[in-house]
Amino acid sequence: MSKYSDDPAWSDIVPLPQDDGGPNPLAAIAYKDEYSEAMSYLRAVMAENEMSERVLGLTEHIISMNPAHYTVWLYRAKCLFTLSSDLKAEIAWLNPTALKHLKNYQIWHHRQTIIEKLDSADGEVTFISSMLEADSKNYHVWSYRQWLVRRFDLWHEGELEAVEGMLKEDVRNNSAWNHRWFVVFGNEKMEGVDDGVLEREMDYAKAAIYMTPQNQSPWNYLRGLLRYAKLPASTLKEFALEFASPEKPDEVHSSHALDLLADIYAEEENKKEAEKALDLLAKRFDPIRANYWNYRKSLLELPAAAS
Amino acid sequence: MAAKRAETFFPLVAGDESKLNHSRHINYWRRCLKTYLPYQYTSNDSNRMSLAFFIVSALDVLGNLETGITPGEREGYINWIYHCQHPEGGFRAFPATDFGELRNENNKAWDPANVPATFFALLMLAIFGDDLERVKRRECLEWLTRMQRPDGSFGETIGENGRIEGGNDIRFGYTGTGIRWILRGSVEGPVDGVSDINVDKLVECIRISETYDGGISEARFHEAHAGFTFCAISALSFLDRLPLPTSPNNDRVRGLSNLPLTLHWLASRQTATLDDDDAYDTNKDGTNSSATCHDADSFAKLSGFPPKNSESSYKGQPTSQFETQWTGMNGRCNKIADTCYAFWVTGSLATLNHLPIIDRPALRRYLLDKVQHLVGGFGKMPGDPPDLYHSYLGLATMAILDEPGLKSFDAPLCMSNDARKHLESLSWRRKIVGIRDGDEAEIAASSRVEIAKPDGMQVEHEASSDRSHLTLSGG
Repeated sequence: MSKYSDDPAWSDIVPLPQDDGGPNPLAAIAYKDEYSEAMSYLRAVMAENEMSERVLGLTEHIISMNPAHYTVWLYRAKCLFTLSSDLKAEIAWLNPTALKHLKNYQIWHHRQTIIEKLDSADGEVTFISSMLEADSKNYHVWSYRQWLVRRFDLWHEGELEAVEGMLKEDVRNNSAWNHRWFVVFGNEKMEGVDDGVLEREMDYAKAAIYMTPQNQSPWNYLRGLLRYAKLPASTLKEFALEFASPEKPDEVHSSHALDLLADIYAEEENKKEAEKALDLLAKRFDPIRANYWNYRKSLLELPAAAS
Repeated sequence: MAAKRAETFFPLVAGDESKLNHSRHINYWRRCLKTYLPYQYTSNDSNRMSLAFFIVSALDVLGNLETGITPGEREGYINWIYHCQHPEGGFRAFPATDFGELRNENNKAWDPANVPATFFALLMLAIFGDDLERVKRRECLEWLTRMQRPDGSFGETIGENGRIEGGNDIRFGYTGTGIRWILRGSVEGPVDGVSDINVDKLVECIRISETYDGGISEARFHEAHAGFTFCAISALSFLDRLPLPTSPNNDRVRGLSNLPLTLHWLASRQTATLDDDDAYDTNKDGTNSSATCHDADSFAKLSGFPPKNSESSYKGQPTSQFETQWTGMNGRCNKIADTCYAFWVTGSLATLNHLPIIDRPALRRYLLDKVQHLVGGFGKMPGDPPDLYHSYLGLATMAILDEPGLKSFDAPLCMSNDARKHLESLSWRRKIVGIRDGDEAEIAASSRVEIAKPDGMQVEHEASSDRSHLTLSGG
């Protein structure tokens, strides 16, 4: 039995079949009849700009098979607004749908449209948490979270604490580190951050490095802070030396410390020590990147050594 | 576990010659061209133009497109692409939104042209050797200017009341600038009375998407990601706005505000963590669990080995410890390798003329021994079945790495240099970019894109005066 052609509720619609453009279509897909039929009805109602409850059902059906259909979402949104549908119910439907299609772009765009119209972030943070439980590094979720924080001014509504909770769970979650950066530096209404905040952030990154010295995320964060504050790399010399020294090749605890030291020595124009650090990286502690470390060595020969 | 499955297919003995199985790849792609894709691709129905591009371009790169189809089929495929052309310029991403004769002012918002699809359609026409004379070029360029938002970013489609729909990330900036480059080179300002996009604004948009660790993200303050990094670098190359010695010498704003840091970020993507099972306890002190620890193996495993190779030189092979014989690329810090990132990273580095900073042989072995599939194509991770997306980007990476038997490859256009040269030879295009008939030699010279670098390091400061394809506009 066909879902639409046998349904009296759709008997007034003449389905519009797909014109696949001649005998040599490219990337033609072996559609199931269910999809072909639903799409033919979708074209027919879209062509008439029909806004109705049955259209909402049809778009839901299409989305379950092809969530990347870029105009079915726009059509659905218009339909929801035209019918003054219950937007909270729409969000309730979207929640499991998003979980089912973790990598889909359109779904987030739609969610933004609906939440924008609702003008309320109620329940969103809880929903985001459940999404991050399923996939703690999901790019779309983190992007959406940033939008939400900006849109509803949630900067001081527990964001920093939430990030800390996530980093406690997994100190290697680079998405969480990045979100921390956003929470600290992303508020355009603030004019820069004060020294106290900068110091707090440095301490936080350092503490994470003590715990996991070979974790690149806090090293990147720490060095990002330096660049933000326009401080020389040598500010971190003592700290880096706690994890590695070119003079003690058997006591290296972090390749990232060697990397930083190479930059510090280059900054100090101590070419010999910089070369030693880069050699240790290339030959022993990070041979995957031997070519890169050797390239960095070649830069030391240039008049203005790269940072 | 997945790694073990793969190893039963490909016995991994160090020193074994890894091979690209040409005939299997050709079979895989020809099956995709000539028969229906399985229904599981339905969720990608709206990306049919990109799927089509992967198929056609893969066969071109494998050198099998011309020989594998009849002239009639070729014409049929070209006609299908034109069938997807939108009446108001640009191309649809799939035929499914076309209302045919029922299309009117009231319903056209549901049947828009699509920016990435238009880029892929134009590339495919070039690959088929079409002259693009049936492309509504003026309408397409006018439509393209309407796709740009005041903040400089591009959208995907135009919806009701001219509203720009889709995300505001650089995927659309990349494909949008690609369309512009195909149809009018990198000439700035109006062409034939059609105004230009706002190039400075887009470059600004890219600059604010740079992250604190040197990568590029979806939008300001988002996380650095190799895919967006590739899109941004390619867009800048289409616009001639990269901070390279090969770019035109002018005072225009460039993208990538800290090239050394971006190179650091790109080099950091290479990893021996190929599988969730590779998770490794670095400190053995309880602070790491197998669930949280990624990308620690190179350090933790290798520091336990005595250094074998004391003579590693800049031009030579890196130290060849067993663990680093196979290394892939991840897309973000502390993630595991995935076939597609091999392309996003090598494509970025090739465009920046810095491909040799990575370990190319180890990446090649990873692709061939770990993710190449028995039936042809590449999977996403070891043991995964092939899919069009990973199979194409795996093959494209092999081409960037100069695999014998594959056509030389243009990274930003993501297709063969043969196809690019064909585009550049079209007379209407030559007129726009200002190449006169006597300039043949210059075209030939600038066409030799130096992606295929010799093994020796060719770094930016010695990249000489060879003109990349991007500088055609000055011609």
